[in-house]
Amino acid sequence: MKMPRAFLTLCAAAVILIGVASFSAPCLAQDANANPMSFADTKQVLGLEGLKHNVIGTLAAENGSLVFTRGKKKVVVPAASITEVMTGKDTERTIGGTVGTLTMFAPYGGGRFLSLFRTKIDTLSLEYSDPSGGVHGVIFALSEGNALGAKKALLNQGAKTSVPPEVEADAQAKPKEKKQ
Amino acid sequence: MKWTGYLSALLPLALVFLFTGSAATAQDKPQAKIQASSIQILMVQSDEVKLPIAFQLALYENLIEQVQKANKFSHVYRDGDMAAAGAADLVVLHSNVYGFKQGSEGKRQVTTVAGATQIKVHCDFTDKAGKSELAQDVTGNVRFIGGNLRATFDFAKKVTQIIVTNFQ
Repeated sequence: MKMPRAFLTLCAAAVILIGVASFSAPCLAQDANANPMSFADTKQVLGLEGLKHNVIGTLAAENGSLVFTRGKKKVVVPAASITEVMTGKDTERTIGGTVGTLTMFAPYGGGRFLSLFRTKIDTLSLEYSDPSGGVHGVIFALSEGNALGAKKALLNQGAKTSVPPEVEADAQAKPKEKKQ
Repeated sequence: MKWTGYLSALLPLALVFLFTGSAATAQDKPQAKIQASSIQILMVQSDEVKLPIAFQLALYENLIEQVQKANKFSHVYRDGDMAAAGAADLVVLHSNVYGFKQGSEGKRQVTTVAGATQIKVHCDFTDKAGKSELAQDVTGNVRFIGGNLRATFDFAKKVTQIIVTNFQ
C-alpha cells in the first residue's frame, strides 16, 4: 500500500515540475530575446580604434549605432557611417592562442593532431568613415550562423551594403546544395 | 723586354677591372631619400584578382598601423581624409593586389610545407599630383604560424621597411 502512495507522490511532483518548467520556459525565451541585436563572445579581429587585435567582447546594434563592449571599454560607430557590411566563413583552431602555439612542441606530432580540431566561425567585415572622411575597416569573428543576423541588425540601424543579406544567404547556401 | 710585355698585357685588364669596379660602386650608392612629412594611404584595390573583403580591409588597416608605428611621418592620413588636401609634402601610397593565393591554416600546421597564403601587391608612392616617386612589388606570406590574415601583417611590415629605407 505504501508503494503506490509513494509512486503517486512522485507522479504529482513530476507533473508540478513539468508545469513550472512550461511556465518558466517562455520567460527564459523572453530574456534571451530582450536584446536580440546583441552578439556575445564576438572577437574583434582588427580595426576598432582604441582596442587591441583579437579581443573578445559583445557586439550590439542599438540606438542607430554599432556598439562593441569589452569590459569597461565601449566603442561606438554610428550605423549611418557604415558604407559596407559583408559576411564570410572561416575556421579557427579549437585550441588557440598561446596554448595552441605551445602545442606545436608536443611530442609525437601531438600539436599537429590537435590542429585538426577546428571550429567554424563567421566573419563580419565593415567599412565606415570617420567624421573627417577617413575610411576605416573592421573585422569581427562571430560564432557560426550569427554573421547574417548581425548584418541584418546593422542594416536595420541604418548601415549600407552593396550585397543584400538575402543574396549572401543564397550564395552561402549554394555550396551546401552542391554537396548534397 | 719581358716585363714590358707582361705589363702591356696586364694594363688593359687592370683598366677593365677599374671601370667595372667604379660602375659597381656607383650602383651601390644609396639613392637620395625622398622627402615627405606626411603620407596618405589609399584603400587597397584589387582590379585583377578577386580578393575577399576581409583581406582587403586587413591589408589597409595593418598598413596604417605599421606606418604609424614606424614614426617616419608627422601624420598618416587615411583614404578619404579631407585634412590630407591641405597637407604639405604629402606622399600618397596606392596599393593594387595582382596575385592572391588563399592557403589553409590547418594544412600549414599539419604538413608544414603546404597551405601557404600569399598576397602580391604593387605599391606606388606618388606625390599629390600623381607623379610616381617610388614603385615596388611587395609579397606578403604566411608559411607556418598564424591564420591567413597574418599575410597582411607581413605585407605591412615589408612596406614599412621600404618606407624607412627610402623616405627621409
